Amino acid sequence: MSIGEYFSFVASRTEDMYNIVQNEGHGSFFIVLMIGVVFGAIIQYTRVDKFEKIAGFAMLKDTVVPKMLFLAIGIASIGLYAEIQLGYASYHIKPLIIGGLIIGGILFGASMAILGKCPGTGPVSISEGRIDVLIGAIGGIFGAFFFTKYYDSFFKILAGKSHGNESLINVSGDYGAIMVLLFGIALIVFAIMIPHRELLDEADLSQLEADERAEIESNGKFEIIK
Amino acid sequence: MKRRLPWWLGGILMALLLLFTFSIFGGNRPLGASTYVPYYAGILFGMHPADYTYLTKVENPGAWEGVMLLGTFLGGLVTSIFITKTFRFTIMPTGWKVYKNNSVLSRVIWSFFAGFFLILGARLAGGCTSGHILSGMTQTAFSSMIFGASVIITLLITGKLFYKKGETK
Repeated sequence: MSIGEYFSFVASRTEDMYNIVQNEGHGSFFIVLMIGVVFGAIIQYTRVDKFEKIAGFAMLKDTVVPKMLFLAIGIASIGLYAEIQLGYASYHIKPLIIGGLIIGGILFGASMAILGKCPGTGPVSISEGRIDVLIGAIGGIFGAFFFTKYYDSFFKILAGKSHGNESLINVSGDYGAIMVLLFGIALIVFAIMIPHRELLDEADLSQLEADERAEIESNGKFEIIK
Repeated sequence: MKRRLPWWLGGILMALLLLFTFSIFGGNRPLGASTYVPYYAGILFGMHPADYTYLTKVENPGAWEGVMLLGTFLGGLVTSIFITKTFRFTIMPTGWKVYKNNSVLSRVIWSFFAGFFLILGARLAGGCTSGHILSGMTQTAFSSMIFGASVIITLLITGKLFYKKGETK
């Protein structure tokens, strides 16, 4: 296609994006945008978009990400069960495709350790001016292009067929409520029990009040790098 | 105003956001953050959804996450400028300098390929940290637990093998 056609294609696809979201019934354009704004703000405000947080977790020098993740899942699993019982939400379980989950997980985990980001924290890093992550995102766009292009002929087969959409709650039958309560509490306790370690650089320290800074600098579990 | 939130407050806020997103008052769907990538790739590479089964498949969730991503970028930008005051153009993370090497070229090349396989892996599994681990495990889904375990084990092995010890201050 010519350059003119390309730009009109991009414009019409962008317009489609707006129309789909506005009319799909999964929240208005504004609500979906605001979900994103809050998501980005939480990630930025807790600083989990930093390289030192995810790569630091990979090196077991920083545990903020797993602590935050498991706490959020623990609380939300119990909350979601309640929401569903009240009729305010429903489950949307992803299919059990063994090959895709394991191979995908291996590629994802290794890349996450090296890039120091995941697809949710990456855009937040870019928004605070990190060029290396922008280059990672360009790599991601190429990865998605490659996946889309060879989906039918290769990746769909590699991922394998679905073994259903089961969950712990589903298979527990009448004991679903008890199981989700145990699951949620176990994760909350686990999140609290993971030893709190942090890998901080000078920019992180400059964000703290003088007394907080002194406390962290004297804490042996926190590693400070320059 | 405080310039960073503690992990527990972040966890509670993230749980509330997930619950809002799942509810009929919010999105009536899980929160996810990797389906937008093939959606955007399709736009940027001028691919018509009708020609690619995968694009047809992600047409609706991709659009939803595409809009959410714009919000995520905006939320991150505003917070980094006005609250955490961390906005500045950088290319080299401190941790990479200490635990890997001093080469910008090395960081950039590794970033590109890590980004490539990050998205390939997420699409193969059908979700990422947000869609599978956060939203999926919240639903106690077995698929998400398998993905989560696979990711965390590989993440820790890679962290051990890829980075060197480094000298701290």
